[in-house]
Formats: sequence, C-alpha cells, structure tokens
Amino acid sequence: MPAVASPVRDPAWQVSRGAIGLWVTEGIIGAIVLALGTAAFLWFVPASVGGPVPFLRWAVPILVVVDAVVSIGLRPRLRYRVHRWEVTDEAVYTLTGWLSRTWTLVPISRIQTVDVTRGVMQQVFGLASVAVLTASSEGTVRVPHLEAGVAQRVADDLARRAAQVRDQAT
Amino acid sequence: MTEPPGLRTSPRVLLVHTVTFRQARAFVPVLIPLVAATGLGGGRTTIILLALAVTLFSLLTAALTWWRFSYAVGPSAVVVTRGLLARSVRTVPTDRIRGVEIETPLMHRLFGLVRVRIDAAAGAVSGKDEEIVVDGVPRAEGDRLRTAVLTRTSAQPEPGMDGAGEAGPPEEQFARFDNRWLLYAPLVGSYLAVPVAAVGAGFRLLEELGQRVQPDLDGLDLAGGWARTLGAVGVLLLLLAAGAVVGAALVNWGFSLVRRGGSLVAVRGLVTRRHTELEIDRIRGCTVSEGLGMRWVRAARVNALVTGLGDAGRRGQLLPLGPRTQAWELADRLVENPGPLVTHPPAARRRRIVRAVATGLLVSAAGVLATVTAGWWWVLAVGIALTVLGVPVGLGRYASLGHATGRESFTVRSGWLVREQAVLQRRAVVGWRVRQSFFQGRAGLATVVACVGAGSGGYAAVDLATADVAPFTAAASESWAAEFAPR
Repeated sequence: MPAVASPVRDPAWQVSRGAIGLWVTEGIIGAIVLALGTAAFLWFVPASVGGPVPFLRWAVPILVVVDAVVSIGLRPRLRYRVHRWEVTDEAVYTLTGWLSRTWTLVPISRIQTVDVTRGVMQQVFGLASVAVLTASSEGTVRVPHLEAGVAQRVADDLARRAAQVRDQAT
Repeated sequence: MTEPPGLRTSPRVLLVHTVTFRQARAFVPVLIPLVAATGLGGGRTTIILLALAVTLFSLLTAALTWWRFSYAVGPSAVVVTRGLLARSVRTVPTDRIRGVEIETPLMHRLFGLVRVRIDAAAGAVSGKDEEIVVDGVPRAEGDRLRTAVLTRTSAQPEPGMDGAGEAGPPEEQFARFDNRWLLYAPLVGSYLAVPVAAVGAGFRLLEELGQRVQPDLDGLDLAGGWARTLGAVGVLLLLLAAGAVVGAALVNWGFSLVRRGGSLVAVRGLVTRRHTELEIDRIRGCTVSEGLGMRWVRAARVNALVTGLGDAGRRGQLLPLGPRTQAWELADRLVENPGPLVTHPPAARRRRIVRAVATGLLVSAAGVLATVTAGWWWVLAVGIALTVLGVPVGLGRYASLGHATGRESFTVRSGWLVREQAVLQRRAVVGWRVRQSFFQGRAGLATVVACVGAGSGGYAAVDLATADVAPFTAAASESWAAEFAPR
C-alpha cells in the first residue's frame, strides 16, 4: 500500500477469509485456461513459421507462468487486504482498490434497495455479495464476498433501518 | 375500482399524421427496395398513382393507430391502451409522474392540436420507454390533462405548504429570452453543430441522387489564388454563424420561465412550441455551464437538476443561452449561493498540466524515434506543438477547478471545453465517493464525487487537498458524512 496520507479514514471490517479461497480458485481456473491456450499455440504454430513466432514460443509461456503466480499467489491476499467495509449507525462505508483507491459512503436514510447476490463460485465457498443502491447511478455501494449468513443479516438490517429512517423523515 | 372510460385523441390528428406520414414512415425502408425492384418505368400516371397509394396507405395506418389508441386519467393512475395486433395497456401511478410537457409542432398548431408527453421516470429504467405520449388532443383537453395529472401529484406530498403558504404572487417571471442573445449562438458548440449537420444531410442527399444530378464540382477552378480561397472560407464561416443563429432561434424563440404555484413552467420554440413543467419541490440544484466560446462573451446556460427527470438535458433547461449575470441571478433564486469558490492546491495545477502535456510528450518521444529511424520529422513537430499547447490547456483546466460550501448548499466547478459549475442543496447528496489514484496519493490530492439522484448522477470536486476532503464532505451534506473523519 502506498505510504501516503489517506483523505479519509478506512472502514473497519474486512471481507470473509473465504474470499481468498475463492479468488485463488478463480486464479487457478484462469491459469488453466491460459495454459491450455498456450499449449495449443505451441502445438499448432511451429517455430518454422518465422517472424516473431520463435521469440513468442519462449515469451508467451513465461508470461503465462508469471501471470499464474501473481493471480494465484499474490493477488488474492492483496485483494483481501484492500477490500474493507463497515456499517455504522448512519451509513454504509466501503473501500476498494489498491493503486487507485475508492471510498464510498452512503447514508442509510438514502438507501433505495439492498441486493444480495450469490454467484455459482460464491455458493461453493458459502459467500454472498451485498449491493446497496441509491437514487444516484454513482452512489452504489458493493460489498463483495461476505459469509452468506452475514450478508443476509446485513441486508435485512439495512433494509429495516432504511424503512424506519424514511418514516421519520416524511 | 371503476376505471374512467377511455378517451380517444382528436380525429383531426388523422390529417396531421397522414400528411406527415408519421406511422407510414416506419415502412419506408421496406418500400424503397420494393420500388427499386419493380422500377419506376412509367410516366406521369404511375407517379400520380404511386403518390395516391402512399397517401392512402398513410391514412390507413394513421386511422388504425388512432382507432386502437385510448387513454384515461383515473384518480390514482393514467392508463394508456394501444397496439395494432398486440394490445398493450400501460398503467402509470399518478404519484410516479415527474412532469408533463406539451408540444405543439407546426402541423398540430394548424389543426389546433397539441402533443402531451407525460414523464413517468421509473428511476432505474432508462430510455424512451419511461414516457407516455398522447399525440393529438385539442389544446383545451391538453391543458385539462396536464392539470389533472399534476395537481394530484403535487397535492400529495404537502398540501398546506405550496399553494396557501406562499406569500408571493401566484405567477412570477423568472427569465425571459432576449432575442439579442441569439447572437451568442455561433460561439456555442451545440448550435454550431446544427448547420454542420444540415450540410452533412445535404451532401448525403446529393450522393443518393446519383451521379447525373450532381453538380460538376471537379470542373470548378480551385486554384483561383489566395484571395478567392479566403473569400470562400469567410463566406462559409458567415453561413455557419447564420445557421447557428437560425438553429438557436428555432429552438429558443420566445423562451420564458415562469413560476406558477409549486412548479416552474418553461415555454419555447418557433415552429414547435414546447411547454415544460417542473416541480420546484424536486429541484435539487442547478448547473451553470459555459463553453469555451461562451466564456469569451460572458454567456452561460442554466440547467435544473431535478430528481427522476428523464431527458434532463433538454427538459431541465432553465435558461438555454444568456448573459452570465442573468444566468447567476436565476441560479441564485433557485439555490442559495454558497459564496466565492475556493481554489485547489498548487499540486492540482501541476497535475492538470502534466496530464494535458502527457499526450504531446508521448507523441514527441515517438517523433524522436520516427525522425531517427525514418526521417519523419513532422511527427516530432506535431508532438512539440501538442506539448506547448498542452500548457495553456492545463492551466485553463486548473483555473476552472473550485469548490465552496454555504449554509444550505455547496458548489463544485470543473471542465475546460465546457466549464460546468454545479450548485447543489445539502439534502441532494445521497452518497460520497472519494477516489485517489496512485499519483494523486503522491501529490496529496483526491477527487470527491457527490452522488446525486438528479442530473448526471455525480458531481466531482477534482483534485482536492487530502486534508480538505473530510471537512468539505461534512460541510456539504448532512451529519452522516462525519463518518469520513478519523476517529
């Protein structure tokens, strides 16, 4: 993480540890697909074609290996560290991104809908994502990969509180 | 619940639609190849017969559409039934209706008819689908429709406050278009595009007419010396300017903005009269935008930011074109002025310049390479020119940056080609998004986007000092923004 002053404070909570497993699995799947593609390339395009091919026959496998190491060994842990979220008395707060970071803060009183989604991979790992939508297309908060139970509880709680606050406002 | 009987539009609209081929137009792409295939070999009789057939066909489609269309304004909803074969019944609850627009195109005016557009923004749904069009009712019926729909809408939220509590006169003029302002039009990009588009359409038409009819341009003596070329360019520019003025006049003729009760009513247009109504209650702020050319002559335009308004760019216009002083007078009437802008830190200036110069530097680097390897020195020349031009652009962009917070409102400004200043009420903010890229972090800057459920959805204070972010957000929205501050 760059050693610079944050403009605002970081949210307190981290996503589920299960997310690391999910990201690693995704990395492995991606690496397998790329490896198959590379194997096909090495098999079907002989070096005798000429041009950049002899060079590519070395470079492509190396790149694929480097990418696999990054996306399996490094990126999941990094992602786990940079994704943070928090629900406070008045607002939902998230932080995403590593080099380019984005903090999003949405007050509970302006929440319009709360979505919980469970992708196929997420179901395998028992995870779920929460999305909090407002009237603004920009003002959407997404919390990825929480434990399914936690996500459901958070969503229910937010929806209930949003309804209460709105009752008081009108 | 008993539904009120469905009403038809006026039968006179049949004539309008027959003449303008409104429904028949949809079949043109099918007809052209058909005609082309059979050939137009015949003489005058064929052509007359063809014209007759097309008109009859147009009348038939118009009549079918008219016959199958009905609308009803109930106590809680507007119901529109339509569709030739597949019937579609559209029910829009009255409290979801955001605004009503009455349009009077030229042909409609001749027959004393209007077109009513009812804007039922559903929030997430975008596109043309969110509006109901009742095309071709008599003017009085149009007015009745508007009041029937709108009085119910505005009566629901707060019955006591709007009508009775207001001390001012029931009708109040907010802005009126001065025809001299049309002279600003040649300096406004969007109006300049009008004649260009017209010329483009003309050329396409020429091409479609075929080689025989095209004027013999190749024979024209282009080598007539500098004087003639300059003259031609001058005439062209004059025509362009005239086209822009005419375009602006067509759209904005007789523009006036009036407050009537709880809503703002804008009327405008030379050929097609448009009558737009916005609820003041839903106005969350406004933008004052000035293009590069407009800044020269101190002109500006004002748009209202209205929650849940479809096609906001056109409907939200409060002053399409006018002097800056007038624009600000109007903006201040709607939203409290938060005071003079605070400039952003010097790091923001460096960042703007670096970003503006970056393209030029890249091209220059490529140019050095190209000069050495291929002798293409002009790439380098272009690169250097771009780099040098980038400096004033960067400075200009920095000069546009600014933000300020007032008691009830706040404002952010950015943009160089079109400088846009958004003035927003504190309650407008439905969320904050703070972005910091790697380089911004190094420079101690961050961009703060106020998420708003109106207009473009987000208004950014670009390159704020990191230390100012939390105070700015706290001052510009309600108490919840204090969550940003470190504990």
